Amino acid sequence: MSVDERADGAAYATPDEADDIWVQGADWEEIEDAVSEGRLTVNLGPQHPSTHGVLRLVLELEGETVHRVQPVIGYLHTGIEKNTEYRTWIQGTTFVTRMDYLSPLFNETAYSLAVEKLLGIEAPERAQAVRVILMEFNRIASHLVWLATTGMELGAISVMIYGFRERESILDLFEAQSGLRMNHGYIRPGGLGADVTDDFEEMCRAILGFLPEHIAEYEDMLEQNPIFMERTRGVGVLDVEACKRYGVTGPLLRSAGMARDTRTSDPYCGYEQYDFEVPTRTEADSYARFLVRMGEIRQSMRIIDQALDRLPGGPVMVADKKIAWPAQLGIGGDGIGNDPTYIRHIMGESMEALIHHFKLVTEGFAVPPGQVYVPVESARGELGYHVVSNGTTKPYRVHVRDPSFVNLQSVEHMSRGHLVADLIAIIASLDPVIGGADR
Amino acid sequence: MSEPATTTTGRLDPEELERRVQARFPDLAANIAYGELTVFVPPERLLDVLAFCRDDDALLFDLLSDVSGVHWPGGEHVVEPQLSTTGWPPNRLTRDRGTVEVAYHLASLVNDHRLRLVVAVDDDPDGPPTVPSATGLFPTADFHEREVYDFFGVHFEGHPNLVRILMPDEWIGHPGRKDYPLGGVDTEYHGAFIPPPDERVWSRDVPGAGGGKVGP
Repeated sequence: MSVDERADGAAYATPDEADDIWVQGADWEEIEDAVSEGRLTVNLGPQHPSTHGVLRLVLELEGETVHRVQPVIGYLHTGIEKNTEYRTWIQGTTFVTRMDYLSPLFNETAYSLAVEKLLGIEAPERAQAVRVILMEFNRIASHLVWLATTGMELGAISVMIYGFRERESILDLFEAQSGLRMNHGYIRPGGLGADVTDDFEEMCRAILGFLPEHIAEYEDMLEQNPIFMERTRGVGVLDVEACKRYGVTGPLLRSAGMARDTRTSDPYCGYEQYDFEVPTRTEADSYARFLVRMGEIRQSMRIIDQALDRLPGGPVMVADKKIAWPAQLGIGGDGIGNDPTYIRHIMGESMEALIHHFKLVTEGFAVPPGQVYVPVESARGELGYHVVSNGTTKPYRVHVRDPSFVNLQSVEHMSRGHLVADLIAIIASLDPVIGGADR
Repeated sequence: MSEPATTTTGRLDPEELERRVQARFPDLAANIAYGELTVFVPPERLLDVLAFCRDDDALLFDLLSDVSGVHWPGGEHVVEPQLSTTGWPPNRLTRDRGTVEVAYHLASLVNDHRLRLVVAVDDDPDGPPTVPSATGLFPTADFHEREVYDFFGVHFEGHPNLVRILMPDEWIGHPGRKDYPLGGVDTEYHGAFIPPPDERVWSRDVPGAGGGKVGP
């Protein structure tokens, strides 16, 4: 398949050209031929309970041994990057939060930081601290889902139930603050959509109160479990050099022994103020990734604890009224909603205020031209936002470097020579979220 | 991949990075904006510059974080018609020649600094924009380059398997490009034809029919 052949308008590989990659329907006779050659191509997914959503894997097997793996993604592609180009900068938050549905707050923060960098502004301290607290809770929630699904895929159904149960308490916290369990749209360029509730600290402390004990229990269930160890130890080894080659970051890189974490290498949102460790292992296998993630949950709790201790007061949105979203909440006659004082001001007192409100909401604010790349450490690795502005009120281009997308490339390297059952453990240890990979 | 150098010089400022790169490639344009260094590289020299950035003792960019495409179409082009009620001028771009920029974001895991290489290629209507593939130097470029190919039609010469990655295999056109509309596109897929939502016929408009879609 040469590049020139595809240059002629038919800008894709035809099934014939890609025959060695894509599974085509075949007659039994052909399949028998393939089997007699010793290899069989098998399609796993995209609708399969152990492929984490709609990941499709085309496997080339020799007996039960994996010879080749080709991850096929795109089943969840929703054109979010393209959509942001047709919406205002503020509306972008609503889109990007829907990419990686297990770590929405990382997406919101990374996008907001990129826009803030272009604008040359910084969110107030209180907003930064709340972002850190919510992101760390999001990391815990994401790792809990990882624990739950990994347990289920390896046969530990109780872990699945417990993991989702703990996550539910964190989602309740998110719901109380942002109004939604997922897809919050809460962290916005300039700060937060609204201040946290009065009982925010109490809610956080309550979760921090019971979580350590529960985490220890779940760890006990798996850490010395002979079946779990048998299934994960020495499975899916990816050393540091291989991680670099395949661009793999996050818990996988740390399980190989490199203490690389964007929170410490490129601190954002004031992470440099917090005292925490970056858990690492050296075995670089699926079991080591389990230990690294459990360590990360503990470190996240440490960070949340410190951030709550010194949660500063003050505003949660920049003071610049040309940027700050006019979302003043208050108690009116019909319950909570737009602040009646503010509504009276724009509707009855000041024509200019009404015009300003209208233009900011419909047209948005202009962002100086330029391009930035902002990385944050999501639950899965380096989540990077490459945001390009041409000086208008809409992004010119938003590109997301999603860790799930990049990390999936290493599946073949990790699973060659292993059994099909090990492949499931390897995919699980990778923790891909296809919503993020496909965007 | 060659053996990584063991001596590191620590994190370099964008200015120091620029000096280091320009000491080796004096004719490359570069700028520093928002605290980030961008080096503009002609496509034919991309692999040399990437290899230098990866292997140089002081740079040691061992991670290719991201490859991203940006389309700047030629001619006068309205990016998006603004709401007429607001009176804001439409967002017009005028360029003599269209370009597709491919941005390579490099990171050093050892030294913690970052760099962006931008390769701008002509958006030539006669042939696809072509850039050499970085997969030989950074295998992680595989998926990234497939994505840029999928959305911008950039052909990466030497890529082992340059096929679509996120769009369906049989898709026609490259949706990331600015001349590809967001909506109103006829979808033809596996023999089925779906008009854009505003042109579909719904059974609520057909007397006696139920409530769903009755056909294109």
